[in-house]
Amino acid sequence: MKHQIEITVNGDAHHLLVEAHQTLLDVIRDLIGFTGTKSGCEMGECGACTVVMNGDAVNSCLVLALEADGTEIRTIEGMAQGDKLHPVQESFVENGAIQCGYCTSGMVMASTALLDKNPKADIEAIRKGLRGNLCRCTGYTKIIKAVESARDGEVT
Amino acid sequence: MKRKILGKGYPRLDALEKVTGAAQYTVDLKMPGLLYGMILRSPIAHARIKAIDISKAQALKGVHAVVTAKDVPLNIFSFYQWAADKTMLATDKVRYVGDEVAAVCAVDKDTAARAIELIEVEYETLPAVFDAEEAMSPDATLLHERESNVCFEVDRVVGDPDKAFAECDYVCEERYATDKVCHCCLEVSNCIAKWDQSGRLTVWTNTQAPHTQRQEVARILGISTKKVRFISSHMGGGFGSKLVLDMKTPIAAVLSKMTGRPVRIQNSRSEEFCTAKTRYGYTMYVKTGAKKDGRLWAREIKVIADCGAYQDKGPATLNFSNMMFAAHYNIPNVRYTGKLVYTNKQMGTAFRGFGNNQIAFACESQLDSLAAKMDMDPLEFRMKNANKPGEKMHSGAEIPTCGMSECMESAAKAVDWNQKRNQKGLRGIGVANSLHTAQGGRYYAYAATDSFIKIAEDGMITLITPAAEMGQGIHSAMAQIVGEELGIPPTEINVIGSDTDLTPYDLGSWGSRGTFVCGNAALAAAREAKKELIGIASEMLEVKSEFIKLEDGQAVAKAPGSPEVILPMAEIMDYTMNKRKAPISVRGQWADDMGPDWDVPKEWTKNVRSWAFGTQIAEVEVDEETGEVKVLKVIAAQESGITINQKMAEGQIEGSVVQGVGYALTEKQVLAEGKVVNDGFIDYKILSSEDIPEIETILVETGDPEGPFGAKGLGEAGLVPTAPAIANAIYNACGVRCYELPITREFILKSLKEKKAGK
Repeated sequence: MKHQIEITVNGDAHHLLVEAHQTLLDVIRDLIGFTGTKSGCEMGECGACTVVMNGDAVNSCLVLALEADGTEIRTIEGMAQGDKLHPVQESFVENGAIQCGYCTSGMVMASTALLDKNPKADIEAIRKGLRGNLCRCTGYTKIIKAVESARDGEVT
Repeated sequence: MKRKILGKGYPRLDALEKVTGAAQYTVDLKMPGLLYGMILRSPIAHARIKAIDISKAQALKGVHAVVTAKDVPLNIFSFYQWAADKTMLATDKVRYVGDEVAAVCAVDKDTAARAIELIEVEYETLPAVFDAEEAMSPDATLLHERESNVCFEVDRVVGDPDKAFAECDYVCEERYATDKVCHCCLEVSNCIAKWDQSGRLTVWTNTQAPHTQRQEVARILGISTKKVRFISSHMGGGFGSKLVLDMKTPIAAVLSKMTGRPVRIQNSRSEEFCTAKTRYGYTMYVKTGAKKDGRLWAREIKVIADCGAYQDKGPATLNFSNMMFAAHYNIPNVRYTGKLVYTNKQMGTAFRGFGNNQIAFACESQLDSLAAKMDMDPLEFRMKNANKPGEKMHSGAEIPTCGMSECMESAAKAVDWNQKRNQKGLRGIGVANSLHTAQGGRYYAYAATDSFIKIAEDGMITLITPAAEMGQGIHSAMAQIVGEELGIPPTEINVIGSDTDLTPYDLGSWGSRGTFVCGNAALAAAREAKKELIGIASEMLEVKSEFIKLEDGQAVAKAPGSPEVILPMAEIMDYTMNKRKAPISVRGQWADDMGPDWDVPKEWTKNVRSWAFGTQIAEVEVDEETGEVKVLKVIAAQESGITINQKMAEGQIEGSVVQGVGYALTEKQVLAEGKVVNDGFIDYKILSSEDIPEIETILVETGDPEGPFGAKGLGEAGLVPTAPAIANAIYNACGVRCYELPITREFILKSLKEKKAGK
């Protein structure tokens, strides 16, 4: 049996019919078609599918579509304003914080939620705040640097 | 030489796509009529297949095809055809938990999963063997129809090791072992296969070696390579796991042919851990001898490599270990014995470092054991034995350039070696050196590639390269090389690749070869383009070519006694298109001069022509109560030849070091009766942002006589010395010598207790 939900993704309202077992990740990638949000493990272990739900970073693979009914979701596609990147995005580019890029969407979303909640997050808070987002390429060093530099307004 | 473009930290060409979520990976591709394929895998480590019943699965609504070995080509395959030992689907036997038994495709994932459950297989369980040393015993159960589970051997001697050991003043003999570890690419292995109306197969997949995999899938399917095209999208990591073809590609191809529809097969994360292959686990019996004055005089190693159920990259890995073993320090007497042994486990494959990590852990740990015996500082010991530029090794290997001493000196200076070696409490530092190929290997008796550059009528430059982008940034590096030659920022160069119909043949991205091989071809093409551009500018301006250079996207002419004249690229192109009536499209090639008589087994020491050296110093703190080892800092001095892109080069080293810390301390595949128990990131621990040490990267520029602008490859080298540097730091901190990877808290606690008890 399908259920009707209404969710707002990157400012647009979507009325959707979903199965009870479908996840927010399925909704975003398969029903709405924003493939910037990545699936890495479907178990909430890697953070590749991180999106911001009502201001909180969540693993979208662990949120049922039905639980997301009525919520406001921001995905990586909703970060830039036209050609203007979000400062966290800009900082990832400038600091060489991207390699294969598969974790990048989740990292950017988690970092943004972190800085929105704690604009003065120190390095320990950043390291701790991103521990749920795995990266196998970069060794995190440049990612942490990118978040620090976004925090300090070093990118415009 | 003054560099304008090289060395600078330009953002990657694909940074914008990746940071906005626009980059399309293979998992993101959609196409009309796409069916979902799934593989039924063996739940038993070793069994005979007695019967398979697919009727229930076939009857399920939404299922389009179900296949077993009876329905597919059964060409036996391995990376080296002479080692062929695996069919697409198991015929009579399964040899590890995860072996492919049957496959389905259906309208959606849920239906495919249900169909898999409906396939009934009757197995007769056979005795299984999980330990490589046990598998060597004469009464061990045999995996394949051969006399022994030992499937490949290497035996090589330089000098006279037996005589030399007798001449040594100090000899150290130990056993070291490393475990199987997983690549853990964030994007799982996946593909879509589609046959078109003309009978041609297109495969979209995340591969490091599209041209090689094209040949491999043709071999398995028994069709002409002409019928196959490979397209790689953005890739979520490789590290060696996406080099040799995985059976899901030919399976998807068969299912697509049967149904006339495109078929996707994608690993689950659990399948990725259980079947996407691992780094080979090695057991190593090592012996090293030195003279009183500190000169290394003899070394031997007996390697027993745990192959897993099929050979894959095993033979090449054992050979590569041998090369590194014989060239690391110029030791006059060396013996290497390697055995690759089948076990009923997931097979190994290439993994960043390729047999060097295991050897480096054993040998660099043993150097410290020997130094302790000799009462010599381990750094001084290494300095005395450092490889030197221009040296011809006793083994026959030639080392044109070498920054080993500079790497050691700069790393030691950055850490204040003497002070840090004598810290109070359970804190210490340790050093390890590495050497690694900086240009792949010549062991396929083929090392060449082409690149094309075309310049559009508006001056836009496009490089067509076979360099396989897996996230390491090779396309950006290519653009920076071409940009340097043509005086144009890399951001203005269009790089196209990743499609075997479009790109020239190349072996792929592995062995740290891309920068060297594809970089040289790209540079050769850029030189041709430059010659043409300057020639045309010379004709237009009536100024001799020698007075014209290319910079900032234009030709600048400065003849003696004349004012400087500037000619934008677009004007040159307008002239050549409309006046000369000819476009500019050029080709560049790099080909190894190995010659037709290259004999790999005989000339094994010449398999690498360019080497990259590195030194890492790790600082650790050991917790006496818990046995926890905390890596506080790693200084990584790595030869880059010349640095093409500062940030990307640092990124390669930082990523390598963090993988190396995981290899040393946290990563291990746990098996129960051959079944992987820790098949997720919760139980298989790769480092998170909270766990990483501070990393200081020092890039040592020595210049390679043959690398593009002097560059060497550095994609793998940074991982090689990390684990032994940590092991040596632990010894310095608490006097415990670690003989196995990963180094567990249990081992440290037990060893500390034994030490206290005076054992």
